[in-house]
Amino acid sequence: MRTPRLTLALAAVGISALALTGCTTGADTGDAAAPTGNPVPGGTLTYASGDAEPTCLDPHVGGNYPQALVATQYLESLVSLDGTGAPIPWLATSWTEADDSLSWQFTLRDDVVFSDGTPFNAAAVKANIEHVQDPATASSTGYLAVGKVTSVEEISDTVVQLNLSSPDSALLESLTQPWVAIQSPTALARTSDENCESPVGTGPFVVSAWDRQNSITLTRNEHYNSPPADAEGDGPYLDEIVWRFVPDAATRYAALASGEVDIIDNAQPDAIVAAESNDAINELEAPRPGASNRIELNSGKAPFDDERVREAFIRSAGVDDGITSLFFGTAERSYSALSSREATAVSDPDLFTFDPEEANTLLDAAGWTTRDADGYRTKDGERLTLEFPVSTNQSVPAEQSLFEQIQATTKEVGFDVVLEPLDLSSWYTVLGANEYNLVSAPYTKVGPDVLRILYDSAGLVPAPSGYFANHSQVSIPELDELLTRASEITDTAERTQLYADAQKIILDGYYILPLFDQQNHYLYSSEVEGMRAMPTVSTPTFAEAWLDR
Amino acid sequence: MRRITAVEAASGTVLLALAVAALAPNLIAPGDPLAINPLASFQPPSFAHLLGTDESGRDLLTRIVHGTAPSLLIGVAATVIGIGLGALLGVAGGLGPRWVDSGTTRLVEVLFAFPGLLLALLFIAVAGPGPLTSTVAVGLATAPGYARLIRSQVLSVRRSGYVESAVVLGRGWWRRLTRHIAPNVTSTLFVLVTLGVGQSIVWASSLSYLGLGVSPPAAEWGAMLNSGRTYIGSFWWMTFFPGLAIVLSAASTTLLGRSIQNRVRT
Amino acid sequence: MTLVAVQRSPARRGGSAARWLLARLAGLVGVLWAAATVTFIAVRLIPGDPAEAILGGPGSQASDEALAAAREQYGLDQPIVVQYFAQLARYAMLDFGQSYSLKDSVAAVIGEQLGGTLLLAVLSLALAGLLALGVAVFSTRSGRVAAAVGSGLEVVAVALPHFWLATSLVLLFSTTLGWFPPISTRGPEGLVLPVLTLAIPLAGFLGQVMRESLLDALSSPFVLSARLRGETASGVIWRHALRHAALPAIGLSGWAFGTLVSGAVVVETVFARPGLGRTLLSAVQLRDVPLVTGIVLVVALAYSVLTTATDVFDRIADPRLRQAAIA
Repeated sequence: MRTPRLTLALAAVGISALALTGCTTGADTGDAAAPTGNPVPGGTLTYASGDAEPTCLDPHVGGNYPQALVATQYLESLVSLDGTGAPIPWLATSWTEADDSLSWQFTLRDDVVFSDGTPFNAAAVKANIEHVQDPATASSTGYLAVGKVTSVEEISDTVVQLNLSSPDSALLESLTQPWVAIQSPTALARTSDENCESPVGTGPFVVSAWDRQNSITLTRNEHYNSPPADAEGDGPYLDEIVWRFVPDAATRYAALASGEVDIIDNAQPDAIVAAESNDAINELEAPRPGASNRIELNSGKAPFDDERVREAFIRSAGVDDGITSLFFGTAERSYSALSSREATAVSDPDLFTFDPEEANTLLDAAGWTTRDADGYRTKDGERLTLEFPVSTNQSVPAEQSLFEQIQATTKEVGFDVVLEPLDLSSWYTVLGANEYNLVSAPYTKVGPDVLRILYDSAGLVPAPSGYFANHSQVSIPELDELLTRASEITDTAERTQLYADAQKIILDGYYILPLFDQQNHYLYSSEVEGMRAMPTVSTPTFAEAWLDR
Repeated sequence: MRRITAVEAASGTVLLALAVAALAPNLIAPGDPLAINPLASFQPPSFAHLLGTDESGRDLLTRIVHGTAPSLLIGVAATVIGIGLGALLGVAGGLGPRWVDSGTTRLVEVLFAFPGLLLALLFIAVAGPGPLTSTVAVGLATAPGYARLIRSQVLSVRRSGYVESAVVLGRGWWRRLTRHIAPNVTSTLFVLVTLGVGQSIVWASSLSYLGLGVSPPAAEWGAMLNSGRTYIGSFWWMTFFPGLAIVLSAASTTLLGRSIQNRVRT
Repeated sequence: MTLVAVQRSPARRGGSAARWLLARLAGLVGVLWAAATVTFIAVRLIPGDPAEAILGGPGSQASDEALAAAREQYGLDQPIVVQYFAQLARYAMLDFGQSYSLKDSVAAVIGEQLGGTLLLAVLSLALAGLLALGVAVFSTRSGRVAAAVGSGLEVVAVALPHFWLATSLVLLFSTTLGWFPPISTRGPEGLVLPVLTLAIPLAGFLGQVMRESLLDALSSPFVLSARLRGETASGVIWRHALRHAALPAIGLSGWAFGTLVSGAVVVETVFARPGLGRTLLSAVQLRDVPLVTGIVLVVALAYSVLTTATDVFDRIADPRLRQAAIA
């Protein structure tokens, strides 16, 4: 069937983000329990997702995590990552960066065919990148990922060259993401609506049906031969995967416990704890890469334009007790802007110690010396009010309760935090109109380049819809320079140092209050073997999964 | 006057307790409903916390007692809005000339054709979420039903024997309205209010479930029911007691309304 | 003048059933038109750019050109009045447009989802009716304690919010007892819990209505005379009182359908069932104007048809109504 290609030439210069200082703290890199026995082919696996059903199964369009979850089963990328975060071959066998760093050449596998029969070659790669960059596709995440690619050249059938506008040290990391995964050019040539229904890729499964608002059916790709270099096994074994959407957390867990479904995502802390005492259910913990789950302080307008007020808020926010009690020990406190998956993450707990006395001193120094009848601080007749829009779609109940606790503890020193639960559309509208002081907005991206998206002043420029990514409204020329240089320099040690300096500026400026990693817990039946989370964006892959029943 | 029945006594007592809780909560439960204590979260009922604690360690009894005012307020206000609008449409339709009747009936039918939740959703989408819009939304959603009931009540009274004889006797329409129609309609209205308060509280809690209700950390029963529901398998008291409060309020207002109805009839 | 006023209580002019039906149909079209107009106005009032909704929502970071292209494609750059009449014209030709969020024709989406919700609504209505009838009859027949219990059950049932009841039923029947699945499956067992969730609160309400009218009917003259003629208490109930007791409840079925659709929004979300309720909720949240309007029209149509059907049934069932004018 397929021939494993394990060792391939990796040009040293082409490797980025390789801080081999070891792995992450806490959670392992996302391997499920070691399989017992031999894989048994056949069977249907049912996956119940708590996320909203995507409106388009082609992850080039838009680009969010629910799309990545399902696209992991039928689409593949040029490059993958191993457990340490180092790039490894996938659809591309090797790559070299040009001496001037303005282009990269990828050597592609020559034995791969899309499930519609179209051969995988350089022309296919070119068609895909052009598809992502085409405004008509309306890609957001993928578009940003290949933002520096100016053109794609077919050097030969198996060699493709990406030309860049400026050096891009994050290129390989970006290419590992499902949002720039490789689809059949024949399929891409169809209308957008058709391609949204059933994208065609090289993955272990194929989209065979989409019964909207009900389920997506994926069937085994019999001709699958292109697993990433770190995969083990001869899969795929499953006949079929049924992908369902169950937005209610309680029902979702009940469905797993009763055997209706085999695996669920977005597992809530109390469900995780209940599953611990249940032998029939296992847990897979796979924090998402990119940013940590943090609260951004809007430094672009009062009162957070004053650093002392920001620090006062952070010092008076009681977070640790809440995290322990609300998450039942399933979430570990983070003191970093980056996910613990990122080897370049810098952590500084001292900046975030709980110190209400210090907070009071800072607020007095900042001029908020008077208090009104309800106990909130005032200055020149204005109350120290902070608007905190909360997206009920993105923030799970435990997080929302944590925000309530922050509201209560910061009230002790005089902050008036106003929590506003909103649906997604209203939430985006409020953010676009700059009507917020605090916000918690997740961002998943492979690699520390996410810092550039979130904290470079270019992130303040809004899209026509009003959306911008730099919610803490950081605009520091020194930081911009660090981030730009880091995005161009591929030398690992230097890059790590640059990102460390950048993170220091962000953390020292009290622009964010880190909480924990982006939680990503999967609970699955013990009958499911051979499943693992992709080291790229932490989505589960069922390429080697089988059912022991 | 008949003797007070056991049911009436019970519902009266409950309503009295609710009134005290709404107006002077500190008499029953001194303490801060917003005071968090994360390390004491998810505690079952005990001597320290009679009804247990919630996910942030807040005492449930205190929250329920202090939550009486906002919860009942939403219920009563939404019902008043609904019945007010409904009465306006219903009385206009029942008493006015044919064209007014046709017009309002058509309007009511159209509004009726919108499922109540949809009206509420649309209104909230336009006006933005929050307790005020939720209240108005629930009122809007329930108004068509009241309009219909009130209209048919007005019509049946209007055609009743003594109104017709008043007409024959030449009494003016104002007299007919105040002497005959209004008292009967008012008693119906009163009963409807008592029935409606419970319904409105339930409605508002459904809006909380959909993420469109009051802002945290307000101790409102529907919101408490909603946030406790996540943990219903493990920590039953977080939904049971707010739910009990809702049921007791709805039940006692309904029973009160029924007994008033019975007394007026006899 | 007074005599004219009394006779103004109209018997239906001409008394022809066909003419009456035609008038009702015309009224139905009028209701649909009004519903479409109200929805048109309401969704236009929602803040946000509809062009963004087409491209996947305000978070989509769509470019200026893409937005302009979308506006042109969907005719959003025309003046409001033109848009309104263009929309009406399309509806008249039964063209309901494209859904912004689901990228499929509105008619297709509704066609797929309608069955699920209708099934839920019909089954719930039937079960609610049966439950209500059962409790009403039982509590009238079996003495004061039973009456009190029945009354109490009804009052509690009405006060149960759907989302809470749903999860409680799942906890009891799925997790603890394992009798029924917590989410929809292909078979009928997946329907049990969702239908129960919708039926119980409705049964509480209908039960109260039925008991009131049953009691009224039982004390009416014709029942008394039946008893005098020697009929048993049960015979009296089954043969005479029930018909008249059930009428108000049947008359409420149009309204009940509306509340069931409302409840379906929550129930379909909790039990992950496909249906119009869930579709409607996400359509409103995603500002998907064509889909919202399409669903509103379908529900309005169903409601109007149901009301007309119950009115017809009323007239057949109760001869007194054929001359009366209570709408």
